Amino acid sequence: MSKLKKVPLAIWGFLASIGGFFAEFGRAFAKGDIFVKLSVIWWGAGYIRRKQYVKGLIMTALEVAIILFSVLFAPQYVSKFGTLGTVQYSTHLDPTTFQMVPNDYDNSFLILLLSLMSFVVWAFALVVLLKNVINVYNLQKRAESGAHVNTFIEDVKTYLDSKFHITLLTLPVIGIVVFTVIPILLLIFVAFTNYDQNHMPPNQLFQWVGFANFKSLFSSGLTSTFSYAFGRILGWTLVWAFFATFTTYFGGILMSLLLNSKKTVVPKLWRLLLVITIAVPQFVSLLLVRYFFANDGIVNTICENIGLTALLRDWGVINTTFIPFLSAPIWAHVTIIIINIWIGVPYQMLIATGILMNLPSDQLESARIDGANKFQVFRYITMPYMFQVTAPTLVTDFVKNINNFNVIFLLTDGVYTTTNTKLAASFAKETDLLITWLFNLTQNYYNYKMAAVIGIMVFLICAVFTLIAFNFLISGDKEGVYN
Amino acid sequence: MSNENNVSVMEPVKAPETKAPKAPRRGHRLGGSRVGHNILIAILCVIWLIPIVWLVCMSFSANDGMDTSSFFPKQWSLDHYVRLFQTNSVNQFPRWFMNTFKIACLNCVICTCFVLMVAYAMSFGKFKARKPLMNVAVMLNLFPGVLTMIAIYFLLKQFGLTNNHYGLLMVYAGASGLGYLICKGFFDTVPRALCEAARIDGCNEAKIFTHIVIPTSRPIIVYTIINAFLAPWMDFVMAKMILNSGDSSMYTVAVGLYAMLEKSLINRYFTIFCCGGILVSIPIAVLFFIMQKFYVEGVTAGSVKG
Repeated sequence: MSKLKKVPLAIWGFLASIGGFFAEFGRAFAKGDIFVKLSVIWWGAGYIRRKQYVKGLIMTALEVAIILFSVLFAPQYVSKFGTLGTVQYSTHLDPTTFQMVPNDYDNSFLILLLSLMSFVVWAFALVVLLKNVINVYNLQKRAESGAHVNTFIEDVKTYLDSKFHITLLTLPVIGIVVFTVIPILLLIFVAFTNYDQNHMPPNQLFQWVGFANFKSLFSSGLTSTFSYAFGRILGWTLVWAFFATFTTYFGGILMSLLLNSKKTVVPKLWRLLLVITIAVPQFVSLLLVRYFFANDGIVNTICENIGLTALLRDWGVINTTFIPFLSAPIWAHVTIIIINIWIGVPYQMLIATGILMNLPSDQLESARIDGANKFQVFRYITMPYMFQVTAPTLVTDFVKNINNFNVIFLLTDGVYTTTNTKLAASFAKETDLLITWLFNLTQNYYNYKMAAVIGIMVFLICAVFTLIAFNFLISGDKEGVYN
Repeated sequence: MSNENNVSVMEPVKAPETKAPKAPRRGHRLGGSRVGHNILIAILCVIWLIPIVWLVCMSFSANDGMDTSSFFPKQWSLDHYVRLFQTNSVNQFPRWFMNTFKIACLNCVICTCFVLMVAYAMSFGKFKARKPLMNVAVMLNLFPGVLTMIAIYFLLKQFGLTNNHYGLLMVYAGASGLGYLICKGFFDTVPRALCEAARIDGCNEAKIFTHIVIPTSRPIIVYTIINAFLAPWMDFVMAKMILNSGDSSMYTVAVGLYAMLEKSLINRYFTIFCCGGILVSIPIAVLFFIMQKFYVEGVTAGSVKG
């Protein structure tokens, strides 16, 4: 099924399942005996009552660990979460050693990060607590009905059988929480602070500023050019994503039809030659092409030699001694899209070839008998079929292109300098995508607050686009075909 | 009656006969356009290969910097391939190669395990949280990688894991479980009857996973392994972010070669960059060609499964 299409439904289902979980806990707590109720405070109680001592001890130990964490570690950070720290870094002379020592300062970033981690730990503890009560209540029911109560060894064995999914998912989910969920939450928090080059921990503090960063992204002022830059860059991002997606998509289909035609000799050889361009890593091929098209690069030499540069200068198209393929607006935009065709078409060609192999040949045959010409076959049979199969990929490709960091960064970083002062004031340039802009903001200008806001906007744009596309473009649920 | 019948039967048989004389003529026309058709493809291939040919030419150039006066170098030499292996403070290609190889191997193991584990749980598991978890995964995948990368950088910095290979490995492998969709799509096609039979024979889930599902899923495992192995070689952004301020001997190939193109260095190192680029591309290209056919299956299967 196309799960994306059902995201609103999914969100509703997700909330409903959380509600169901709480309801189950409520029932277990109300109907359970005194040990089940006691399990809320002492996690091991219910297990000890049913003589599952090892499990009881493990749960107790886990509870003690979480309590120790909450008492000894978390408060020193969480208590300052509201202010993100008040004690500024400073040094004073230690009279005994005659050395400068720092005071007991607050590190806003550490406070933010470790508070966030504490929240995650507490959320985990809450789930364990609720689940524990439900488990203990089920245990009580089994014991009361005289059914067999598992020994510890039997319990462990279920983790290789009926609960095998828990064994499998634990490590990957921890990885995802640490390396995706926590970073995303952190980013969302940073968007509401003034963490930038003037507020860099540990030497300075940063504070909560509410929606101020979002305001400066959307309201134009004399000092802030971010709204201007955001508009310009968003425009180019969408134009780029549109052209990058559709040129390579149709280019790939056409090339695949061309190669797979019966008239082609040695199609495998041609395909191999074309695929070489994508087999070379992008940081090699794109960096190379960037020097290929540089102001003093080989293409410019050739254009000069054949007189193209002089011709363009006579027409007034350019006023430099070279053609600014990657160093002037419009020129750079067009060149980037063309280079992307170079890099993207073979990839789409591979995919299109794979799909066209499965094109129902009876349809083609009947169309041919009906006297359809090649174009009609392409227009009314090949394309609709392709589109039906690849529409979801088309949407994900569009989103990928919105975030196509490599092509833009490798082609323009250090080569393209903007002459637009308003863009330069926001550390942007005409060829930037939102994603490369925010990368530069963090890497070179330490403007984390604006980068975080832009990041959230990128996510919203991608999410909204995906939702709309999947709701309108793709009709019919394909789940039935597969299950 | 029989006669009439015969006639009506004969008619369609006749039809091809009338077409028959046309056939050679059409074949002749095909022959004419056939040359043009193949020339068109040849031209496209040449256009597509120009930059790659230039890369090869440049790597054999006797010049240190970029030779912009002509497409083919005036003097050919193997000198720069030799110099690629003579390390100095800028060029440490052998070290970079080993660094990347180490990270790629470790990533390969962790990533493949994670992907297979999640895919199996999501495909064969029958637990209540399955659908909600899959939906959360879809939402998380909408956050672009570069975005989370910045926050991960903060995280690693706090724990002193920047400019460290294991920090980079964590970034590659940590959240790799999210990329389970293609593999799950494959697992969905594994016949369930096979698993039922094994269950009746007394296999537990773990045994079904290791003894039945994994052996029948060779193609997708090869795909996952090659993909995980290639990621550190192809990646540039994350490696640059995490290894940027460290010692140049810590770099991966991508970061190291990129550093050669700095404005102050390019005139001395451009040819060496081309040599390095070619030497890295060869093993990657070989693996890529092996993976090519899985690529197509993976992308289409993944998309339909959505």
